[in-house]
Amino acid sequence: MQTTGGTKAFRIAVLRQVVMRLERGLPDPAEERLSLGAPSVDRHLPGAGLACGALHEVVAATHGDRPAAFGFLAALMVRVLAVRRGPAMLVAAPRCFDFGRPYGHGLCQFGLDASRLVLVETRQDKDALWTMDEALRSKAPAVVAGLLERDLDLTMSRRLSLAAASSATPLLLLRPSPAAGASAAATRWRVAAASPARDGHGAFAGCRWSVALERCRNGRIGQWPLAWDHVAHRIRLAEVLADCTPVESANPRGRRLAG
Amino acid sequence: MRLVAVNSAARRSGLTAGELLANARSKVRNLQVRDADPAADSAALRKLGFWCLRYTPTVMACGGESGADGLFLDITGAAHLFGGEAALLADLAGRLRAFGLIPRLAVAGTAGAAWAVARFGERECAIVPSGGEEEALRDLPLAGLRLSAQTQLLLRRLGFRRIGDLLRQPRAPLAGRFGEDLLLRLDQALGRAPEPLSPLVSPPAYRAHVVFAEPIGSEAHVIEGARRLLVELSEDLDRNGAGARKLRLLLFRLDGKVLSLTIGLAAPSRDVAHMTGLIALRLDRLPNGLEADFGFDAMSLHVLLAEPMAERQALFAVDDEAAVAAGLARLIDRLEQRLGRAAVRRLHPRQSHIPERAVILKPAGDVGALPDWAAARSVGARPLLLLPRPEATEVVALVPEGPPRQFRWRGVLHQVADAEGPERIAPEWWHTSGDEAERDYYVVEDTAGRRFWLYRAGRYGAGVIPAWFVHGVFA
Repeated sequence: MQTTGGTKAFRIAVLRQVVMRLERGLPDPAEERLSLGAPSVDRHLPGAGLACGALHEVVAATHGDRPAAFGFLAALMVRVLAVRRGPAMLVAAPRCFDFGRPYGHGLCQFGLDASRLVLVETRQDKDALWTMDEALRSKAPAVVAGLLERDLDLTMSRRLSLAAASSATPLLLLRPSPAAGASAAATRWRVAAASPARDGHGAFAGCRWSVALERCRNGRIGQWPLAWDHVAHRIRLAEVLADCTPVESANPRGRRLAG
Repeated sequence: MRLVAVNSAARRSGLTAGELLANARSKVRNLQVRDADPAADSAALRKLGFWCLRYTPTVMACGGESGADGLFLDITGAAHLFGGEAALLADLAGRLRAFGLIPRLAVAGTAGAAWAVARFGERECAIVPSGGEEEALRDLPLAGLRLSAQTQLLLRRLGFRRIGDLLRQPRAPLAGRFGEDLLLRLDQALGRAPEPLSPLVSPPAYRAHVVFAEPIGSEAHVIEGARRLLVELSEDLDRNGAGARKLRLLLFRLDGKVLSLTIGLAAPSRDVAHMTGLIALRLDRLPNGLEADFGFDAMSLHVLLAEPMAERQALFAVDDEAAVAAGLARLIDRLEQRLGRAAVRRLHPRQSHIPERAVILKPAGDVGALPDWAAARSVGARPLLLLPRPEATEVVALVPEGPPRQFRWRGVLHQVADAEGPERIAPEWWHTSGDEAERDYYVVEDTAGRRFWLYRAGRYGAGVIPAWFVHGVFA
């Protein structure tokens, strides 16, 4: 290590890999990683991306931010669908759609292909957990997303995390708002709504969230204002200057298409 | 009031069905009478019919003068499974007697002959040899021909007593005097004319049956039994290049109750492990468990619907598009068995301007094309989440026809920072009765950056203040 390790940063990176292997018990530097599209966020994640075979949690900062949290979850689903084969499976316990059911035309405008979405609505949380487990183990879906009514315990979260790891399929979980309980998740993102981006004419140009990565195994936590680019299907760092941020810096392709 | 049915004691006292109750009372002093319940009778017969599915998949109820009062079993090609017709009859009679019933059974080449011999023959169990129908029917009374009461009365008045009397008559005068019906019944009994019968349950495309030496009761045993039947069926399916789309599992309980489970599949399959798994999930979902009581002594598995299935080398096609689709179909099957058919759905676009009508949810296990969203384009902005029904909201607007300034929804007051709109959506007059108002939709952003989809129903008029609704939420 001394011979090859030139800089301090490189040595830390090597050590981190060693620690990771010890923690997970399996050497998987080649595990599929999923870039969010924003390098400044990816840098905080181990392996510069979201681990595919892992559990990732999204929580809303307040109850009113649940739609924003769902939007962030949907954005992650779009990122996964872009690189993986198969459908997206959205599992919801009862009363989880208190802000409404996912709307096909809205999903398409957001960038999520509604024809690849399978919606499972269950009567109890228990069934929702079973469904997620079953879906992961079948390896058929590209991504499994779940909305739970009540918080899940550590045992269940470990079980789901293992199911995700064994099938190398990402599991995204929208936990009920004040979720701070123990969990086996690889990452946890806390999402709050933020004023959307606007183009030069003051028209809507993409949604924004204030996102905190408050838990990240083998990585660093962080906090960013993020924007969703529904044309390029990327999460970007949002400029927080003013409401009338010129769009070309954030979204050159979108500008060209629009103009 | 008339007697509908009599038991053997009453018959010994000289009573017959169809007699007036007053006459019967005068003949027998302490006669016990119960009200007839035709609905319960036919329900009981139906249950018995289901039980008879253990002998053959084709069971039909046969009618008498007072509703259905017997069962036809088409045992063509099934008798050898029980060791011949005589053995089948003996088995059937023994089991029926164990239920406390008094069976009258007959096997014949035609349904009509079997009906007549069972009811009017001398013996309890009779087998009419093939081609011997005429011989067997000759000495039976006319009632054995399933004729209307009027025709029977007329024939009796003319001096006909036995079926043989009719067989000796020339056909033309009979047809002229009594109509086609008499000759048709005669021909059907003798096998000269076909007799269409409607079976109790639709006959399956494939069928496997097993009788257990010892009754089984545990779920594990039932699943293992079903697995063996599936192995048998999958060989048949494989031979025909078909896969099962719909299965029916029949469990015959010792006391005559039959448990019937139907299992649908999203894609044709002959995978034993997969279908066994589905049966296990279906058994789990039974509200009262298996209710095995004394145990099940037989089990039938029917393939109700089979579809052609392409040969697939599952092992070599790991990355194949078809393999992914097959994996998904299996997953959907399993989810449907546990959660019910309506729980697993896909969003499909629909031609409509009204937002809630522009999307329809259809079961993912349905046959048919996958949803095509590439062609579905909406004009204005559409929310990520749409409320199942619009929720009324209190709105303050600066100008009557303008966008809202603030609104209260679910008890929370939202100050509006920005609004886009309106997008006017007119009601579809060809769908509605005409009392629906046009809607002006606004995308409204509150000071916290949350965006909502609001609409105003109708326009301001003389003394009319239109209502506002929240219809959806953006991410």
